[in-house]
Amino acid sequence: MSVTTRNGMRDRMFAAFALVATTLLCFAFGRALLTVNDERIVVALLVTLAAGIVLAERRVTRAPDSALVRGAVSTAPAAVLLAIVALILVFHANHFALLLICTLLIYVTVALGLHLQFGYAGVLNFAGAAFFGIGCYTAAVLTQLAWLPHPVVMVLGGVFAALIGLALLPPVLRTRGHYASVVTIAFGVLFTTFLEINETFGGAQGMHVAGLSLFGFDMTRNIRLSPGVTLSFYFGYAVVALLLAVGAFALVTRIERSWIGLTLDAVRLDETRSACFGIDLARWKIFAFCLGNFIIGVAGALFGMLMSFIAPPNFSFSASLMLVAIIILGGIGNRWGVLLGATLIVLVPERLQTIQEYRVLLFAALIVGLLLIRPNGLAPRRMRRYFGEGSA
Amino acid sequence: MDIAFVSQIVVSGLILAVIYALVAVGFTLFVGVFNVLNFSHGDVLMFGAFAGFTAFLPLAGLGVTSPFLQLVLVTIASVTCTIALGLIVARFFILPLKGAPLLNTLLITLMLATVIREGVRLFYPRGSNPKSFPALLPTDFVSIGAINVRVDTIMLIFAGLAIIVATGALIERTRFGLAIRAVAQDEETARCMGVNYRLVVLGAFALGSGLAACAAMINGLYYNEVNYSMGLMLAIIGFCSAIIGGLGNIAGAILGAFIFAGLQIVGSLFMPFSSAYSDVFAFAVILVLIALKPTGLIGERVSERV
Amino acid sequence: MTNEAPLFESRGLSKRFGGLQALADVSFSVRRGEILGLIGPNGSGKTTLFNVVTGIYRPDGGAALLDGREIGGLRAQAIYRAGVTRTFQRCRLSTELSIFDELMIGAHKDLDLGFMANILHRKAFRAAFEEKREQARSLLAIFSAELAQRMFEPIARFPMIDRRRIEICRALISRPRLLLLDEPSAGMTHDETRQLMDDILETRRGNPELAVVIIEHEMPVIERVSDRCVVFNYGRKIAEGSYREVASDPQVQEAYLGTRHGAAA
Repeated sequence: MSVTTRNGMRDRMFAAFALVATTLLCFAFGRALLTVNDERIVVALLVTLAAGIVLAERRVTRAPDSALVRGAVSTAPAAVLLAIVALILVFHANHFALLLICTLLIYVTVALGLHLQFGYAGVLNFAGAAFFGIGCYTAAVLTQLAWLPHPVVMVLGGVFAALIGLALLPPVLRTRGHYASVVTIAFGVLFTTFLEINETFGGAQGMHVAGLSLFGFDMTRNIRLSPGVTLSFYFGYAVVALLLAVGAFALVTRIERSWIGLTLDAVRLDETRSACFGIDLARWKIFAFCLGNFIIGVAGALFGMLMSFIAPPNFSFSASLMLVAIIILGGIGNRWGVLLGATLIVLVPERLQTIQEYRVLLFAALIVGLLLIRPNGLAPRRMRRYFGEGSA
Repeated sequence: MDIAFVSQIVVSGLILAVIYALVAVGFTLFVGVFNVLNFSHGDVLMFGAFAGFTAFLPLAGLGVTSPFLQLVLVTIASVTCTIALGLIVARFFILPLKGAPLLNTLLITLMLATVIREGVRLFYPRGSNPKSFPALLPTDFVSIGAINVRVDTIMLIFAGLAIIVATGALIERTRFGLAIRAVAQDEETARCMGVNYRLVVLGAFALGSGLAACAAMINGLYYNEVNYSMGLMLAIIGFCSAIIGGLGNIAGAILGAFIFAGLQIVGSLFMPFSSAYSDVFAFAVILVLIALKPTGLIGERVSERV
Repeated sequence: MTNEAPLFESRGLSKRFGGLQALADVSFSVRRGEILGLIGPNGSGKTTLFNVVTGIYRPDGGAALLDGREIGGLRAQAIYRAGVTRTFQRCRLSTELSIFDELMIGAHKDLDLGFMANILHRKAFRAAFEEKREQARSLLAIFSAELAQRMFEPIARFPMIDRRRIEICRALISRPRLLLLDEPSAGMTHDETRQLMDDILETRRGNPELAVVIIEHEMPVIERVSDRCVVFNYGRKIAEGSYREVASDPQVQEAYLGTRHGAAA
């Protein structure tokens, strides 16, 4: 009895220690990545990150049951969340840093939608940027209606993305194997073409999107809290983007830890087997594709308001491939990998202007190499646990 | 509608169909021997077009002024470079993935396509601008009754058709073709019967890439333009054609290509203001066709062992 | 033998693949609680019959009746719901999933897949999960205590014999009425096979109505476990009866058993 109590105490201490340490590490890394101007230091940071991941993974695989590892793993979500909140607070007046954080969080949300499609149900979507664009353009059109509350606009962005995706599904569902991917690829390519030639949505010039206003807060100008403290107008976006990303993450986590997640895995892994045990393949593919596109569309609507101006090149096929790259770099099916992948693909080119022009080439080559050397991505998925770490 | 207009439409449709068919046959070959959706095919084609264009540039300076000789040299350069690139793709990026999840092969070919495309855009001098491909064939008109057609157009259509027929004969009549068909039918049995599997896969990729070079040449000579993004669209169209014809089936791929070209022509008749809308129309019809007949018009072999 | 209606009846089931008649006018029935051995040379249509009965293939002719209700030509999903499950000749397990996950795929018709139940009402989900966990544990324990203990580990870590057991448990956990076993002993030693058969018979104690059709090449296995045998050759039924009867049937000896087993019978 006393031994277990003492063990429980020790576990809690280790967990608390791990929580503080991980939070500080993430915060320090994020702060450095967002502010350092010397590109050599950015490269050094990335190397440190890579080394850290390798070391941490070794430690986890070697001693998965040690108190420290269990503490670190179980507190990691809270630590990452705390670190991001801290970053937003610290950079409350820094436009550029906040814009980067917003962009990162929005892309994390988008990647979580794709993750649901690729990683769980195995429905390939190579038109992610197009569905993202549908959300953006929905926001551009609907924010012109002054009476429509902006949260509703965001939800409608998701709804339209899901509905248009639904129209693509019949050929996707009926084509065997991965050949169906040509359907989304064609859609992804034609979407930009369509945006460029049409008149209604601004053509190649693009469209203006009104800024977000929530519950009376207009997020197009700075907020003065007190004489000394002014919040950047991006602060509100960062909060909304964080809520969105956390919501999407929680949803995806609960899906993975439920019969639904299991069913989606079954559909992806073996269709014949799944059919023999009553699983309606079409139903679950539709579910994952539509829910994924909904999440992507909502994030797109927020992105449009954040950028205040959108144009067709934002939603090209290359952009879709970069979204796919996010989930592959992280490891298909690993929710946490999404954060890592988004940091690499979204944040790093912004901080390393030298590679900005070459980023698509670089990341495409990186993915090719990765798939040849480490086919499961940087952080492959772990076994499903239905109730958090520690329980069954 | 007057006959001259109709004939012009038919001719441009035929050119498109021939180009698409050459691409689609490559796709169907790859699916046959390796069950791979090789999306890099379109950008290998684009690479071939740029190789041909590059080979043309110094020719006049070297004293080669005969258009015929220029054409021969440009074609040789294009075909050689394309086959080389196709073989590199097959040898180093596709063959090592034997037995890997289909998703991985698909992603590799998609990302390879991006690498080739971006590589040309970034590293070819002024790579993001369209390049004007030389007109190396006689451009005068011949009149057949009321119809005026350019000589080069007729030559390109016939050349393309001849290459397609020759490919068909190669697959149906030669030992190499037999080996390809054997591998496509049943890889394990073919291996047991002494077929060198790797060699057949590499051969099929060389053949497919060579056909892509021919498509690139016809495309360049007809439109007198090449650009870095041409491969992507041709890949999608070629692959759609292969699917609606029935994957793994050469005749199906050709049929699919003609259907696609026909749809684009019909689309442009109804929507003459923009070729992009006719593309959208053609794709929409193709998607409906795929949804209605997912195994293709000429059925593909489907047998999953349970 | 009673006069009650059979649990399952195949009435002239037929299936063609191009020029190959894989099943030709096959008729037989399976009674409640019976174990029917399905034997015949390779390629004689046994697995095709399973694929037709479970809805992977559509029959070209004939009828399949479960409890008098036509199931032939239904989708695989509907046939599973009607109470027919199977194992596969080559194990169809997703080795990256845990044993528990794979069993839950088998129990799919008992799972509540509602969005609310899974995502929002986590307390209720936890109760459902715990109930399923105990069900899976006790079923696995019949076959192997170790499997029951390690049920949250990936299947990739287990050897062939355990994978067979997992497949059988996956087919049993939904309490089917008709279980189709496709060569459960493939790749196993005689002792392992005997053990597996004993375990299968053991599970029937709690479910005496369960009927089993078993495809098997090991004649001693068939002799020991089956109440009755049906023999296939070239897609046709060529004999039916007790093991002794079919084993002494000259047609069967010629087609399948050859001289080796023919003399023994």
